[in-house]
Amino acid sequence: MKLRHATAAALATIAVACTGVIPEPDQQPPEPQLSPAPATLKRLTRTQYANAIYDLISPDIAVPIALEPDVETDGLKAIGAGTATVSNRGAEQYERAAYDIAEQTVSSKPLRDGVVPCNPTSTDDAECLKRFVEDFGARAWRRPLTQDEVQRYVTVGVQAATELDSFDGGVEFALAGLLQSPHFLFRVEVGKPDAGKPGLRKYSAFELASRLSFFLWNTIPDDALRKAAESGEISTASGLAKQTDRLLASPRARAAVRNLFTELYGLHKLDDLVKDGEIFRSMSADLGGFAREQTLLTLEDLIFEQRGDFRELFTSRRTFVNRKLASLYGIPAPKLEGFADTELPKNSARVGLLGHASVLALHAHPVSTSATLRGKFVRTVLLCGDIPPPPANVDTSLPEPSGARPTLRDRITEHLTNPSCSNCHNTMDPIGLGLENFDGIGQYRVRENGERIDASGDLDGTPFRNAKELGEAIASHPNLSQCVARNVFRYANGRVETLVERATIKALAAEFEYSDFDLVTLLRAVALNDSFRYAAQETP
Amino acid sequence: MKRSLNRRTLLRGMLAGSAVAVGLPTLELFLNGNGDALASGGGFPQRFGWWFWGNGVHGDLWVPEGTGEQWKLSPELLPLESVKDDITVVSGLKVYTPNEVPHGTGPAGILTGGRLGVAGGDFDNSTFGAASLDQLIANEIGSATRYRSIEVAVQRSNDSLSFTGPGQSNPPEYSPKALFSRIFGAGFVAPGEDPIIDPKLALRRSVLDAVGEDAKQLKKQLGASDRQRIDQHFASVRTLERQIAKLEEDPPNLASCQRPEAPLDDYPDIEGRPQLSEVSRVMSDLLALAMACDLTRVFSFQFSRPVSNLLFPGASAGHHQLTHDELGDQPQVQAIVRQIVSEFAYFVEALRKIPEGDETLLDHSVTLGFTDCSFGKSHAVDEYPLLLAGSACGALRRGYHYRSPAAENASKLGFTLLRTMGVATTEFGSDEGYVTEGLDDIEA
Repeated sequence: MKLRHATAAALATIAVACTGVIPEPDQQPPEPQLSPAPATLKRLTRTQYANAIYDLISPDIAVPIALEPDVETDGLKAIGAGTATVSNRGAEQYERAAYDIAEQTVSSKPLRDGVVPCNPTSTDDAECLKRFVEDFGARAWRRPLTQDEVQRYVTVGVQAATELDSFDGGVEFALAGLLQSPHFLFRVEVGKPDAGKPGLRKYSAFELASRLSFFLWNTIPDDALRKAAESGEISTASGLAKQTDRLLASPRARAAVRNLFTELYGLHKLDDLVKDGEIFRSMSADLGGFAREQTLLTLEDLIFEQRGDFRELFTSRRTFVNRKLASLYGIPAPKLEGFADTELPKNSARVGLLGHASVLALHAHPVSTSATLRGKFVRTVLLCGDIPPPPANVDTSLPEPSGARPTLRDRITEHLTNPSCSNCHNTMDPIGLGLENFDGIGQYRVRENGERIDASGDLDGTPFRNAKELGEAIASHPNLSQCVARNVFRYANGRVETLVERATIKALAAEFEYSDFDLVTLLRAVALNDSFRYAAQETP
Repeated sequence: MKRSLNRRTLLRGMLAGSAVAVGLPTLELFLNGNGDALASGGGFPQRFGWWFWGNGVHGDLWVPEGTGEQWKLSPELLPLESVKDDITVVSGLKVYTPNEVPHGTGPAGILTGGRLGVAGGDFDNSTFGAASLDQLIANEIGSATRYRSIEVAVQRSNDSLSFTGPGQSNPPEYSPKALFSRIFGAGFVAPGEDPIIDPKLALRRSVLDAVGEDAKQLKKQLGASDRQRIDQHFASVRTLERQIAKLEEDPPNLASCQRPEAPLDDYPDIEGRPQLSEVSRVMSDLLALAMACDLTRVFSFQFSRPVSNLLFPGASAGHHQLTHDELGDQPQVQAIVRQIVSEFAYFVEALRKIPEGDETLLDHSVTLGFTDCSFGKSHAVDEYPLLLAGSACGALRRGYHYRSPAAENASKLGFTLLRTMGVATTEFGSDEGYVTEGLDDIEA
């Protein structure tokens, strides 16, 4: 929302946005129309870069971690990738990484033989270098190279081979070049005008294969997908469905779905948790990583192992813990090192995602909880409500804890009664107060400053008495299916939906509901949706 | 390369045959032959950078008493005592663009003179709509050195306020070890050391030529916004090529240049509290030496990010949380601001410790100190807290308090800094921040 153009009318819209309901488009078409946004280049995320190298060369390559950092926009790196560029330092880092990877490759015989498809007859065997560039290039760039492009990197390779008096030296420099090219670092998926659909561009078979692969595997296409692109099979409805099902059935889809939820729930930020160790005695440097693993294992199990109802994410007592988390949660520890599945006790106050230390610790302050941050997470990420930033020049302070105001609920009253605050804070804080039984790192507590915590509240008309009932209220919230559908749509397409596509999202949500909230069904539906196969012509 | 060998042979002979003390001024003289290090009228080059921290100040305790040359350090500026004569305080300016994104409007106003680019509601979604001051200046003077500009941070964050163009940010280096190995690692030659010319440098440039050609061809297929992004990639590749070319040239051989000691591998948090002062000082010393060796003339130093919720030593909560929640005169926030200002003072002293001729690196540079709002509690952007350190080779006043008579446009300061650094512009900023004049009174 661009507040810069705020007028009285626009402010009224903001007030509506604060109800947390997804605004309706003015006119809802009977059938979802195809009205995608223009295509934008996506810069590979760090994870995608590493996955691509593992697939191109070997999982044994140590991929340098110092790479241009990911950009997050609208809550997703998948969207930020569509605006990211390469800074000066970024070009240095990509260069250093490329030579590091190239050197690891040529200095190991199995790795080197894995990428060079021929035996050179001389140090500067241009023919063999050409086969290498064509073969490696087509995999790295997710499409066959043009003759000019092949020649460009053969020239580089021959020059290096000659000066270093080594064929493998030529491979090393050509490989390092292919990995620095914008065709590797950016996903160039821009489509071509489609005769049957004026105003739209259709992604080519290779572009579609790449889109599908990055969506469902978070890496470059494998051999079978490339073949389906070469033959054009993937551009047919049945061909796309066949590849989608194949990718979804693979264990590699799990890693990609872990990535989806890592981005969506901001779980990568758990590596940088700032918590005061004096206040949170159970805090340790590894807690954030463990907490993330709990959430990802729980999701992976629910979505793929159980093929369960996604709503159970918020109500289930089934989860995964290791010894550290078991001790934080006060439940029996797994017998062995590492994570194991567990059933939280029947009377557990901690159930579902909102009982995970990941979410509870991320959305809290370094020394305390925050009803606003937790409520904002539920409202914006889980239920897709919009919340504008606080207005400037308002006094935002909360009173100190005191005898008269021992709990956060007492202190937060101002947010909820002063009209300049309450309009928005009422959509967040009461939700967060429902989680007050968990401290700033997610440990259960009954009292705050000696006073018994009241965790009751109301979520858009559904009353709850505690965190468990709040989880149930989220699971049965009318926005939930549309919100999940919207988030998966945005992740898959790397962009925010257009106004018209809100109807598409409604339709996807209906399919998701009809499948009893089976996330695999939703992933499939998003991949097969026309919005995944077409882009708009850019308006001049 | 012939010239280089001759010169080095000559130098080695001299150093072998005579006392080192004789060597230093002579070494500087040799720079004239190199052309760029002494380019500005036979003196030392001007350097520019900014030094930023998040969450503002406590306004009533920031603005000094007295103006002009007669002024007293305010309570929050007290840590600047040792460098007071090298500092100019600029107070009373105002950012006039609408304050829509708390912590974002201020930095965009100061560094670009305009509004935020994409205001997606909160700070996390915002970006600059234009190049920041440091990069505008790097366009002018950045090609003379190995690094066009260097961005560093103390708080671990990839967020940056340095933008090459709309949406094109320059993420900072926040690991001292990574900064050290980037600047003083492979390719760095300290005075007196034999240069090692890597035969692979020319090949690396050929590779970058091919990459650049890819970018040029790719652009033809793209829409306007993607073209801009690929242009940026292309520009970064070209900058890298120039960097490699610099490695093939003689390194600048300045008297104060030396290879610093390597920093620690890691500065881990202690009980959830980062070692801010330690990291800030290591970064300050590395950056000062990078400039002493003329590896860059433009920098940005991000002590903490906007909205930073860092736990400072002795504070009972995160910085951002305290600015909003602490009552009364906010003694904890004040203490944090004083800690930050004392790290700024350390940075200024680090520049002053580097002798350059009869003067110091500080004399030949100007550093703009600023934050993301004036009063953290309310996110206000009037009465903006701004500091200048150094005189940029005598161009700017020092030991001065400039008090704006009537809440002048904050962009005026950016205008003056651009002009001071040789950017021949007649305007700065956009929309409400647009100006065509500077603050004449701070010029010497």
